[in-house]
Amino acid sequence: MALRIDCPNCGSRPFTEFWFGGVLAGEPPTPESTIDPAAEFARVWYRSNVAGMQTERWFHFAGCRRWLTACRDTLTHAVHDVH
Amino acid sequence: MTFIDFEGRKLPVRDGDTVASVLQREGVTVLSRSFKYHRPRGLYCVSGDCPNCMVTVDGEPAVRSCITPAADGQRVARANGWPSVEHDVLSMTWFMRWALPVGFYYKLFTMPRWLWPFAQKIISRVAGIGPVDLTSKPEKLERRNHHPDLAVLGGGVAGLSAALSAARDGESVVLLDEGMIGEKVAPGPVRSAIDDLLQAVRAQSRVTIVERSPVTGVYEGPLVTAAAAKVLHMVHPGRIVVATGAAERHAVFPGSDLPGVWLGRGAARMAGVHGVRPGKQAVVVLGTEESLAHLETLRKAGVGIKLAVAPAALAARLPTDIPSLVDGQVVQANGRRHVKSVVVLTPTGDRRVVPCDTLVLSLGFTPRDGLLRQARQGTVNGAGQVVSPGCSVDEARASGTQAAQQRSSVPVEQSVANLPPVPEAGIVCICEDVSVGDLACAWREGYTSTEILKRYTTMTMGPCQGQMCHAHLRAFVRQQEPNVQWTSAATTARPPARGLTLAQASAGFDHHLELRTALHDRHLEAGARMGWAGAWHRAENYGDVLKEYWAVRRQVSLMDVGTLGKFRICGPDATEFLDRLYPMHVRTIREGRSRYTLMLNEAGYIFDDGMIALLAPNEFFVSTTSSGAESIEGWFRDWKETWKLKVHIVNQTAMLGAINIAGPHARELLSRVSTDPVDNAAIPYAGIARVTVRGISCLAIRVGFTGELSYELHHPASRSVELWNALMEAGADLGIAPHGLDALKVLRLEKGHVIISQDTDFDTTAGKIGLDWAIKMEKPFFIGRPSLDRLASIPPAKKLVPIRFAGDSAPDEGAQLMVGDERVGYLTSCRYSPLLKCGVSLGWVKLASGVLPAQVVAVSSNGKRRDVGDIATGPFYDPEGAKLRA
Repeated sequence: MALRIDCPNCGSRPFTEFWFGGVLAGEPPTPESTIDPAAEFARVWYRSNVAGMQTERWFHFAGCRRWLTACRDTLTHAVHDVH
Repeated sequence: MTFIDFEGRKLPVRDGDTVASVLQREGVTVLSRSFKYHRPRGLYCVSGDCPNCMVTVDGEPAVRSCITPAADGQRVARANGWPSVEHDVLSMTWFMRWALPVGFYYKLFTMPRWLWPFAQKIISRVAGIGPVDLTSKPEKLERRNHHPDLAVLGGGVAGLSAALSAARDGESVVLLDEGMIGEKVAPGPVRSAIDDLLQAVRAQSRVTIVERSPVTGVYEGPLVTAAAAKVLHMVHPGRIVVATGAAERHAVFPGSDLPGVWLGRGAARMAGVHGVRPGKQAVVVLGTEESLAHLETLRKAGVGIKLAVAPAALAARLPTDIPSLVDGQVVQANGRRHVKSVVVLTPTGDRRVVPCDTLVLSLGFTPRDGLLRQARQGTVNGAGQVVSPGCSVDEARASGTQAAQQRSSVPVEQSVANLPPVPEAGIVCICEDVSVGDLACAWREGYTSTEILKRYTTMTMGPCQGQMCHAHLRAFVRQQEPNVQWTSAATTARPPARGLTLAQASAGFDHHLELRTALHDRHLEAGARMGWAGAWHRAENYGDVLKEYWAVRRQVSLMDVGTLGKFRICGPDATEFLDRLYPMHVRTIREGRSRYTLMLNEAGYIFDDGMIALLAPNEFFVSTTSSGAESIEGWFRDWKETWKLKVHIVNQTAMLGAINIAGPHARELLSRVSTDPVDNAAIPYAGIARVTVRGISCLAIRVGFTGELSYELHHPASRSVELWNALMEAGADLGIAPHGLDALKVLRLEKGHVIISQDTDFDTTAGKIGLDWAIKMEKPFFIGRPSLDRLASIPPAKKLVPIRFAGDSAPDEGAQLMVGDERVGYLTSCRYSPLLKCGVSLGWVKLASGVLPAQVVAVSSNGKRRDVGDIATGPFYDPEGAKLRA
């Protein structure tokens, strides 16, 4: 409830307007990229469970319906640098 | 004249009365019985802190009567006494206390083990603070959000000064108070200061005053929640000033919890604000500056002062016409149901017994700092008595102004200087009936710090949340270990600081999104029973499931499938986009054709399915499951933005209605109403075509879940009713009847069709449910492919298979599947098939060395029903799909 996200399109909104899209862990592959199976497995499956800043994806479903990338401090829920 | 209904008696209410003042005026002195020993309890703090005055008001238990305004017709009753609170037989537990030591529920009734369930029932009946009315209807309350620059908690001198200062600096302020501002304070210099400040604050348009809203918690964010009767206020401030003041120091000595023992401010409030005298003959203990004013208030109300006990400095300023004792100490209060006398220790060590009916204690202050200690994030500062207990009005004013200006938090020192003297005997925690002896016992047992003493004895965990006894707990530990700091530290404060109802706690959460299709009213007219399917309301049946079922299998039937997720995906990169997204071939779909497709996440697991159709080059129509539409739009947009492809994604779920025509006569029906050809050449199986039906332009897709010849008609939702009526009318002589979800569940099971999320889990791969053909591993790239490559080396341990059960009824859904004594799986879906006259089902079955068993036994949850099932290899009904392609 307390968590607020500064949406660059809509302004400061409570997190209940957003869906959490998970931690942004590296670039997903494209047909052009050569896939290293071990690295891809690590990207999809391994979670570091950071105590501190982590980069996350949030979907503003009740607003602009755009995906945002945000840095959140998992200790304080402070959200920075939303774009 | 207004009255409250008190246990069947009508008691008159005067202006400004609280429930407590009405009862006091009428001579009701025992308001509750204590939690464990059923000791009589009466008014004590009269400030909303202590638990003694809690009664049941209009069916709501544990309401503090001292801060609840009395209203006409209110039903007030006392709780937790048998046969009554006035004469409570259970108070004999006090004389049994040797048998009920601290933590007794860990020690007694646990040997032998079977005793505990019985003991637990008795204990939960005897203990408590009133029954919850189980027949009461949950109330739906609202949430209100505030976003001020400053939130001020508490409307006393310091709080009002803080609000005024911030508002004058041009900031927006929300000021929260538990009651009405000033109402608790007896007339005097403090009250006039509050009245003046309040007037000045009201003149500021930037200040929102929220009264009768106890603050229940300060959370990270920061977020402040305040529970008003009908609204949960959620305040998201830039900064917070906590000005909750101080409560008077709780007294602990034998008999200190008897009715007739009052804290000074409480007695003064009852006499000065409500004009009700706390008693006839009082012993007054003065220990604070303001207690002189309280004494005066009591005398004016007609309370006889039997003895005033004061330290020398205050004693010198006492009126000369009352008996006084310098530097004395009250050590005991006597009486069974009310104070009859008190024992005073003189400085020379004599014990004097003074007969009286009231004891008023002003011993000092304990900061009301629960909310301040909860705050762990943001700029939060205390102001006034909460940081400097006993400060003057001017000091409070200055402190409030200063706190409002602070741009960072000033840490509050948890000093031990202000701790009360260590209690020697008596009940120290009045919420949970913990005595000083209990504390000593717990200490001997090895619970040697405030935090674990609190957990073991439940002291500070009652309704007052430690406002009364937390300081005494620290003082006790401090005395045991004077040289260790951490063991006597303040305990962690957590929300809620004040009680709130479940309705208040869940305010705003029960506002469900409810989606209805355009045909909703049409279904109701047809007698449909509606049910929830995600956020959608869908028809479960129209009264006769069997009739609906046969209409599909033998004649023709309609189903409202407007709930399906429907998307238009187009743009120069549309084909590329969908080809990367889906595990099947998108590039080879011909114009006017559709394909079934699964949706995989990056782990290669199935999370949705649907249909994808090509309308024109780079223009697709994509459908998803009913529940998936919302999340899949997010999924589409995520990948679009990740890959930066030129694609338009239009969610048409709400704008398009959809009706499925299913049954052997489906083509006959459609040809009657369509102006376009609908034969096998125009719309083959899995084909898609534009048809005009009675002037309504529809996209007809020949797919279906039922196993019969069927057409999905997607059309503008505004014309759904018109289309539905036209089809029903034209099909009347064909035996048309609509079918609901109940019939569909039988129909699809006969075909062995899987419902994603009912039959599948989060880690289901296509291979496990027999849909390998829907994954094109020859495609070099699609989402989930790298994970599937890896999973390919791990043989599946279980599979979802169709299972047939002989007999005239089907086993329960969720039944366990056994082979011999071994549990091998469970049924995810099961129905009785009227056509095949057997149970048809889908279930997960474990493979034994890569092989499925031929037979399993389904055992119902109570173990009474056992059915032998044969594992099938394909659909039960029309395995070749001849009817679909007819």
